[in-house]
Amino acid sequence: MAANELRLLTCGLLVGLASALGSPASAELQRLDDAVMGSISGQTGITLELELNANMNRLSYFDDGSGIHLENLRIGSVTQPGKGAFHKIEIDIDSQGHLNLDYLVDQRRIEFSDVILDGASELSMGGMFFDHSLQGSLTLSPGGTLSADGYTFDSSWTMSDGRIGYRTNGNEVFLDDVSMSLHTPGVTMDAVAGGLLFTAPSITGDLTIGAIRYSSNPLNHGVSTDVGSGLLLPSYGSISGDFDLSSQTTIGGGGRSGEGFRIDHSAVINSANFIYLDDGIALALKGITGHYAIDDLRIDVASDWLGREALALTTGSLSGELNVDRIELGGSAASLGSVNISFLFQDHVFAGESYTNALYLQGGGHQAAGPQGLRLAAQWSLPEASLSYAEDGRRVIFSGLQSWGRGDVTVNVTRDETLNGTRFFDGLRIGFEGLSGGYRINGLRVGDEDAPLQGGTELLLALGFYPAYEFELDGHITLGAGGASGEGLTINSDIQIRNGSAALIASPYDNGGGEIAQQGIWVTDLDYDLHVRDMTVDVTNEGLAIVKGEVWSTMDVGNLKVGDKASGQSFGRFVLQSYETGSSMVISPGGAGVVCSGGLGADAAACVASGGDWQDRGEQGVSVSIKQILASAVDDTRRNAITWEANRQLDGAGRPINDSGMKLVLNDIYTSDGGDFDNDGVDDNTFGIQTGIAVDIYQARVVKKTDGPDSQGVDGARGDEKIMDSSQPAGYRYVAVPTAADIENRPLGFAVQAQSQFKELDISSIDLVHPSGGAQTAIYGVKLQNFDIRANLTATPIP
Amino acid sequence: MKARNPNRWLMILLPLLAAAAKPAAAELSRLGDGDLARVSGQGGIYLSGDVSINEVGGPIQNSYFGACGEAGKKCGARLAYRLREDGGWFVLDDIRGSFSFEGLTLRVRHIDSGFGGDGELFNRDVIELGLPNVVRYHDVQFKLAASNMARPTDPGFQQTDLFSIEMQGDVTLEGNLLVFPTGNP
Repeated sequence: MAANELRLLTCGLLVGLASALGSPASAELQRLDDAVMGSISGQTGITLELELNANMNRLSYFDDGSGIHLENLRIGSVTQPGKGAFHKIEIDIDSQGHLNLDYLVDQRRIEFSDVILDGASELSMGGMFFDHSLQGSLTLSPGGTLSADGYTFDSSWTMSDGRIGYRTNGNEVFLDDVSMSLHTPGVTMDAVAGGLLFTAPSITGDLTIGAIRYSSNPLNHGVSTDVGSGLLLPSYGSISGDFDLSSQTTIGGGGRSGEGFRIDHSAVINSANFIYLDDGIALALKGITGHYAIDDLRIDVASDWLGREALALTTGSLSGELNVDRIELGGSAASLGSVNISFLFQDHVFAGESYTNALYLQGGGHQAAGPQGLRLAAQWSLPEASLSYAEDGRRVIFSGLQSWGRGDVTVNVTRDETLNGTRFFDGLRIGFEGLSGGYRINGLRVGDEDAPLQGGTELLLALGFYPAYEFELDGHITLGAGGASGEGLTINSDIQIRNGSAALIASPYDNGGGEIAQQGIWVTDLDYDLHVRDMTVDVTNEGLAIVKGEVWSTMDVGNLKVGDKASGQSFGRFVLQSYETGSSMVISPGGAGVVCSGGLGADAAACVASGGDWQDRGEQGVSVSIKQILASAVDDTRRNAITWEANRQLDGAGRPINDSGMKLVLNDIYTSDGGDFDNDGVDDNTFGIQTGIAVDIYQARVVKKTDGPDSQGVDGARGDEKIMDSSQPAGYRYVAVPTAADIENRPLGFAVQAQSQFKELDISSIDLVHPSGGAQTAIYGVKLQNFDIRANLTATPIP
Repeated sequence: MKARNPNRWLMILLPLLAAAAKPAAAELSRLGDGDLARVSGQGGIYLSGDVSINEVGGPIQNSYFGACGEAGKKCGARLAYRLREDGGWFVLDDIRGSFSFEGLTLRVRHIDSGFGGDGELFNRDVIELGLPNVVRYHDVQFKLAASNMARPTDPGFQQTDLFSIEMQGDVTLEGNLLVFPTGNP
């Protein structure tokens, strides 16, 4: 691009900036008369003051003949509808030839009611509004990073009274009371092959969001209080943060096909902090560092893979790494530990099918929710990622995370009502329609990335996370504003998984010699229905508190297989039904602390004397307190039951036919307090099953179980202890009598301290069900009472 | 050559047999770690630790259950079941104690060799529960009883304690528990 063209473009950008700050279309610009002008002396620049009130029926962008349109665009006053927003701009050129702009914008709203596409003009993506007051400065100097033909921008501004909202069908979610400051000195712009290069050596700033509010009243629009009741609208919580970045961005012309944009962007996060506050109590991600790069992002108006017109964002790759030094939770600001995530999104073939990374934005949302909403036809391909968790300096890496999938995600702001036969709830509704995908993890590495790959990903099962999962997903999660009290979240959800498969135990998919079939224990032919009602999520002084109003689910495992998930032999069909009311969970920072493992004793001497091992597992870690109230059966779907079916008849293709075999049914399982103590005619059920789990990463004693070389060829005798040693080819050795130094290098694993209690657990009956002969009760009731089970376990991967 | 029954040398070891002290698998050959080198699928976990039941009592405080050491009350757990709709209840009562172990493993194995040649014929995947060499029992005890009510606090409750069992000391548990599907699923 020639220098003159660059200057022309720069002028265009400045005109655009001036338009944003103060459009010449302003209706109420005050003319200064000569008398006033005569009173001004010693001015070296120009001062513009205006009341800006601009309306536009439609603003369109066309790409290869296809258009995307912003409807009913308005720029004006926040506080006085139909009036202009005050702008003041001072422009001067200093002695060094720099162009300086100082600007002030007071209570401005920019909004549009709809975004529509030519190919689907009856559907809208919804409307947005952006309120703000701005004060800042911009200095433009000649000379860029690459040559004197470029430009340098020094910019600094602060925003206050901010509000950013999204509205569909009369309902709104918005960020309220937003304040932000941004300082970007020395940003340069240069012409390069294919576009403009923007280099920002320093981007620093901070952000606060006073509340994230929700409104279901169509009469409310961009207001913090309900116009009817005068009460503050409910809030999801507030956010604050700060950041220090540097970045490079190239913007050029040309879409994935024909016209469009191309963007290449990379950034380094020197430091950042993110804090979510719920009634003033924080969930904080502190000490964030990292980097990321987006390569070949294209923006087009184009059709998705189903031929639906959309605003298309497609990318060649997205890669990066993020570190969070401390995850603090609760009133004491104690730390759960640190997390590191590295990722590479790019095109890849999974199970013989090609996947890419693309997002196609369309109008409409869920079809029953009304004409406004957002539909994201999404496709993702993540061939390489890893996630590591460290606490008290000990680190475990979940290596070789892969994920892929495609399908539709819908976004609507909805209210509690039934529309066109579909039940909606108050809040931001994220819907899933025909979303098929999966993920898998290759294995564990402990210590660092160079450590040998080993099994153990099934340890994540304790957190409800399967080592591998493939699914077809439909349903929704609706995030409502307000928790159990004050700010927080209320979640309603209905999820359906069809034709799923998940691993309970899985071997690596790649041992270093290319992809291989994973061996393990699999739940296959999985159908899973989950329904959640009025589940609240709050950050409390104790930690993250989750209270479930009513939750019921059916997990129908068509085949529980061992070996390969496709060809492995099956134990039969298992159906797990769950029904809970009033269950709760609290996740707290800090693990078990000091533990006498394998013995009893309040101090090290007493513990060792009793045969135990005195362990200080540190200050970090995770503790979870769970209370499960298993409710007695209400109907065939809302109940707790376990069914095992085997010996099923086979269809013509050799597949088992459900409900054709013999079943063993543990019917109507529920908890009880053991009596009707409040005299309401039914047994009380308030205690449930109460479980406390403290999880740490800690060294564990691992002994060799047989003489001779092990699976890695490392020799040792039965009873020898495994000691990690990076100087050894396999990364470890066996020692008959470990020294104190050896003990410091015991293998890392998960140390779990658990206690589970219940007053009473009932099984109404255990039935045997013949496909034609019907049910026969084998056991007429089982009653377990007064259980208190405690465990200290260490779980390490098998090398 | 006549094919051998692939299950002949492979058996599922019931955990209860483990309590009978010696390795229950009379003819099950021990696989050395070297044999495992041929095993595909090295996912799995190695567990060690201790588990206790009602060491200091349970959560119920009433006329029947109480803290350990509380005179006239039971601090153990209780399990009752009945085989007839209007029948009496079999009871495992006052269940208490603790045990510890080291090296319980869980993984999936493909067996296609070993076992005196039967492994090659067997040629399938199994879930392998690698038993710890030693399980230490500490004051493990329970009573077997019969009662007319499931809850000991129900009106008219009567119970006859039949006998008590106590376990103390080390139990050797060697070998592997292999679990695999057979028949139509």
